[in-house]
Amino acid sequence: MSEGPLIVQSDKTLLLDIDHPLSTECRRAIAPFAELERSPEHIHTYRLTNLGLWNARAAGHDAELVIDTLIKYSRYAVPHSLLVDVAETMSRYGRLRLEADPVHGLILITTDVGVLEEVIRAKKIAPLLGVRIDPETIVVHPSQRGAIKQSLLRLGWPAEDFAGYVDGQAHEISLKQNDWKIRPYQELAAEGFWHGGSGVVVLPCGAGKTIVGAAAMAHAKATTLILVTNTVAARQWRDELLRRTTLNEDEIGEYSGAKKEICPVTIATYQVMTKKKNGVYSHLDLFDTHDWGLIIYDEVHLLPAPIFRFTADIQSRRRLGLTATLVREDGMEGEVFSLIGPKRFDVPWKEIEAQGYIAPAECIEVRVNLTEAERLSYATAEPEERYRYCATTRTKRNVVEKLVDLHSGEQILVIGQYIDQLDDLSETLGVPVIKGETPIKERERLFAAFRTGEITCLVVSKVANFSIDLPEATIAIQVSGAFGSRQEEAQRLGRIVRPKADGRGAKFYSVVSRDTIDQDFAQNRQRFLAEQGYSYRIIDADDVFQGKI
Amino acid sequence: METRSFADYLRTLDDAALISLFSHRPDLVTPVPPDVASLAVRATSAPSLARAIDALNAWQYQVLEACAVVAEPFNEKNITSLTDKAALFVIPGLIERGLIYPGKDGLYLPTTVREVLGGDIAGLGPQSMAKLNLKKLEEAPAAAKKALDAMVWGPPRGTIADVKKPGAGVQWLLENDFVVVANSHTVLMPREVAIYLRGGKIHKELFIQAPELAGDKRDSKSVQLAAIANISTFLRWTEEILNFWAQEPAAALRSGGLGVRDLKIITSHLGVDSNCAAFVAELAYLSGLLTIEADDRILPTNQFDIWLTQSPSARWQSLVSQWLITSRMSGLVGKEESKNVSPLGPELDRVAAAPIRKLTLRLLQESEGSAPKIESLVSLAQWNTPARRSGGIPSDYIIWNLREAEWLGITGQGAISKYGIGLLQGSDLDEIDEDLPKPVDHILIQSDNTAIAPGPLEHEIAQELAILAEIESRGGATVYRFSQSTIRRGLDHGRTGDEIKAFLKKASKTPMPQPLEYLIADVAKKHGKLRVGNTAAFIRCEDSALIAQIISDKRLEMLSLRQISPEVLICQHDAADAMAILRSFGYLPAGEDSQGALLSGPRIQRAKSKARPPRIVGEFDRPDELQLEAALRALRTGEKSSHRQSTLRNIASNALGSLPRTTANETLDILADYLRNQPATSLSIGYADNNGLVSHRIIDPLKLSAGSLIARDHATGEVQTFRIARITGVAAI
Repeated sequence: MSEGPLIVQSDKTLLLDIDHPLSTECRRAIAPFAELERSPEHIHTYRLTNLGLWNARAAGHDAELVIDTLIKYSRYAVPHSLLVDVAETMSRYGRLRLEADPVHGLILITTDVGVLEEVIRAKKIAPLLGVRIDPETIVVHPSQRGAIKQSLLRLGWPAEDFAGYVDGQAHEISLKQNDWKIRPYQELAAEGFWHGGSGVVVLPCGAGKTIVGAAAMAHAKATTLILVTNTVAARQWRDELLRRTTLNEDEIGEYSGAKKEICPVTIATYQVMTKKKNGVYSHLDLFDTHDWGLIIYDEVHLLPAPIFRFTADIQSRRRLGLTATLVREDGMEGEVFSLIGPKRFDVPWKEIEAQGYIAPAECIEVRVNLTEAERLSYATAEPEERYRYCATTRTKRNVVEKLVDLHSGEQILVIGQYIDQLDDLSETLGVPVIKGETPIKERERLFAAFRTGEITCLVVSKVANFSIDLPEATIAIQVSGAFGSRQEEAQRLGRIVRPKADGRGAKFYSVVSRDTIDQDFAQNRQRFLAEQGYSYRIIDADDVFQGKI
Repeated sequence: METRSFADYLRTLDDAALISLFSHRPDLVTPVPPDVASLAVRATSAPSLARAIDALNAWQYQVLEACAVVAEPFNEKNITSLTDKAALFVIPGLIERGLIYPGKDGLYLPTTVREVLGGDIAGLGPQSMAKLNLKKLEEAPAAAKKALDAMVWGPPRGTIADVKKPGAGVQWLLENDFVVVANSHTVLMPREVAIYLRGGKIHKELFIQAPELAGDKRDSKSVQLAAIANISTFLRWTEEILNFWAQEPAAALRSGGLGVRDLKIITSHLGVDSNCAAFVAELAYLSGLLTIEADDRILPTNQFDIWLTQSPSARWQSLVSQWLITSRMSGLVGKEESKNVSPLGPELDRVAAAPIRKLTLRLLQESEGSAPKIESLVSLAQWNTPARRSGGIPSDYIIWNLREAEWLGITGQGAISKYGIGLLQGSDLDEIDEDLPKPVDHILIQSDNTAIAPGPLEHEIAQELAILAEIESRGGATVYRFSQSTIRRGLDHGRTGDEIKAFLKKASKTPMPQPLEYLIADVAKKHGKLRVGNTAAFIRCEDSALIAQIISDKRLEMLSLRQISPEVLICQHDAADAMAILRSFGYLPAGEDSQGALLSGPRIQRAKSKARPPRIVGEFDRPDELQLEAALRALRTGEKSSHRQSTLRNIASNALGSLPRTTANETLDILADYLRNQPATSLSIGYADNNGLVSHRIIDPLKLSAGSLIARDHATGEVQTFRIARITGVAAI
């Protein structure tokens, strides 16, 4: 029996003992096919999923390699049934291929006639198909390239897409590395994507996904459509592209609620793309108006459903998804796989942290006791009002005040969900607040002031969750959130893990009301953050007041 | 007589030959027959012959078929010419088994063998009565040839529209007696014609050689590794299912067995497919580790506690040894065509299960070092035991056996493991204990509130952890998760927060994460803050001095009062009694209802509503025509049969005077004699019923078969089956 670092469980999870001498080697070996699920301090949990195994197939790994790796590193004998299952699942990928045929256009080819017979009988697939050319080949309506990939994945026969891409309208873009250097993993990510054609790059928050996007554009050298979550993020993309690439201001357009510019590189927000006018998505035409050579989806795990629908129609254009997590709270990971593409690159944040590209962070939960009166009114509050009530109690204010005081001199973000609470905090602390109604100009001014250190503390609402680059923030204090959403936690934490000039670690405080649903949500948060490998502590508000933090 | 001549032959056998007969057919000596005559009777009885024939392989079976189609007495040459020279090697074996025997002038076949072999042996019809000119077959016209071709390989019957107006071809065949008329729509092809057309042989294809077993080579080390993993997994499954049911017993269906819902629950609990879960449950049931209680709950037995203390090898052996001998086929569960078959239910027994399992394992053992291909193993098994009478070995059974052997670790990666061989050879299985992964005595606690046991945990730690945490993932390692509710469960089991902390600190190799420590302390602090108890009545008063007075009043001791707060007492008597006692000692209590409102009496009392007294019904509804008619018919039928029975009984007792008495063998001989020579003679028999009471019966014997007499009973006028063993005697009237 080998004494390997890996334990293969019968429920298809893999437990990796990271204190084992072979653990790094083993992690590299299993990363291509297993999804990292949890990475707390001693044992990391990976999971074998169908999508993960197909991702591996898409990256050119075969079942034999997967099985050999499992057996090689496994501490105990690997369940035979699991191996059979892996081989079986992986063999399903690639039996169907989408190809471009000079005569018939888009065709579906199989190496296994039985499979083709099965899928053409499926109700959802039959209408997407044209004439049968020979037993192994059938014509697919070119407009249904995305739809058929979606349906085939749902049937469990994912098709490999070899039908190629249109180049789009050429446009010279290159990286301008005069005062900075692209990091090795960013370069690998961009290359991984380019060779794969389309797909998703998974990088932790703060690891510089924008630069991966820029590098991908430099590979494509074509007109590019970039879809981002909001206007501020759009501006930051623009600033970043101006700084990192040879593009100039006239070549980059913003397509948002405020402006409707269409340029060789256009940055559009999800919000404007999915805005309905008289019941139709009037802005989706943007996809068609230009002969885009590359489409970049920022924060792909937030991609709204209408964009998916449209993405299905543009399968001949190269697509790059950028995200920190493939987990979608709506479970649409399969759509991302079939429509944007398989995962092309990922790297655990621990590795990047070890390389010094992101700052280490410590998570601290501060439990606040409600006063008698607060407890009483919490207990009698309407169920739908309860979270709001316990998340915004006045008692929290004192704790926040004390925390800000304890960290005076550092760059602090106070993050919350409820505007009244934020206004109140802003007033108490005597610092500016950024919320939904703050004009874009004003937001940019405040963020700039924060970056330069002119302002040391900002109160922000969820508008600052995504894609706002505030590299010098070292302390985040979270007072309320969207019911313990995992994504939100990752995003908020991402605000403070950008590497600091002096190499300091970051602190992420959550102020939580004891014995309320606020605490229940905090438990989810603890689980999520600890699973991500962040150190996590729980302290009492009294400790804060005594300065013990 | 046939039985006699077979008995005579048996008498000539020496000890060695008899021993060889018994070893081939052990049923002949269980129990040991009193004399050779009885042995002969048993050996030529249909059930015994059927067993012997089922044990033949395909080639032996074909030779026996040849023996059954030639006329007696026959010799070896007759047989080889019908089959192959290789039959010479098989005939002595058939003689040894008593399936054919040498008589005065050649070989004979016990007639029952033909019965057991079935209707059309080798697809051949009966012998022809007429003299046939077989050469003429060569000149058969085309239409006749087509009819011949259709019948030549059996079945030997052909259906035609009307024998009176046959087509030209059949007409020609009928004229030449190449077919004979069976009934108005059917013609039969005589045996001689078919054999001639088959070229003097009787089989299309001879199965002289066993088919080659194809398989994939397996590396011995990985086989053992896989097998030991299977063994440890199976033991874990068994333990988990039983532990699960100990906490949440499944309810058996009314028809017996485990319902689909409960099967689904354990299936997902184990994380296996439902066939596997059903098999684990079945085997625990067979090994006596679980039982279905009288109240239909499925619960582990105390045998399970004993089993848990045993070494892994002993635990495995106790499960596997039951699997080897059981007649239950858990593979039948969940099959499309047998929807109602449930695990632990009554419908899983199959006669052939154990022998087929034995055969499968023997074949696996013979192909050590390779994992046989399923189709190949099935065809070899089917050659070994064609079991023609029952349509051959179902390939499903073999597939299930292979699947189950793999789950059990008898095989690893499809090839037999050394543990499997050890088991089949009955040798020591201690190796299992040595080869199983060593139990670990520690866990690793992590700050996401999980604990990981990186191997099989020592029993005590595992049990304690099972209380304190939820299992999240199983396999070589176990992942436990702590949460508020699991810590609460620990506290409910009487542990204190500090004890839990101490236990985890001791068991964990890694330092205890701060959040978990905080969680335990937090839950422990709150645990038990709310107290719940039963009480019959309470006494409350806003004046705590009065409460103090009551609690210290010695005269009120009988109320067994307990003070639960300065203003509240509780007592174990009901409110009315408590008030009466308080009043009698000079206190002035008033009643309070559940809403806290003051009850002021005296009240006018009312009972809860009650059913009205019953009414006696004096008249009946008039029955309708149908009911009347049915009643009349039942009356008449009963009358008729009782009259007939009593008259018959009178006649019988008058005629017989006393009961006839013969031994079973005599009975058989007499009955056979009457059947052959004087059919349609009524006989008198003594017949014992279930309770051993012997009654007279007058019968017309019809047929002897399989230890039974089929005859018409005069008393009831119906054809009935009489067991020979129950017939105490037979005599002519």
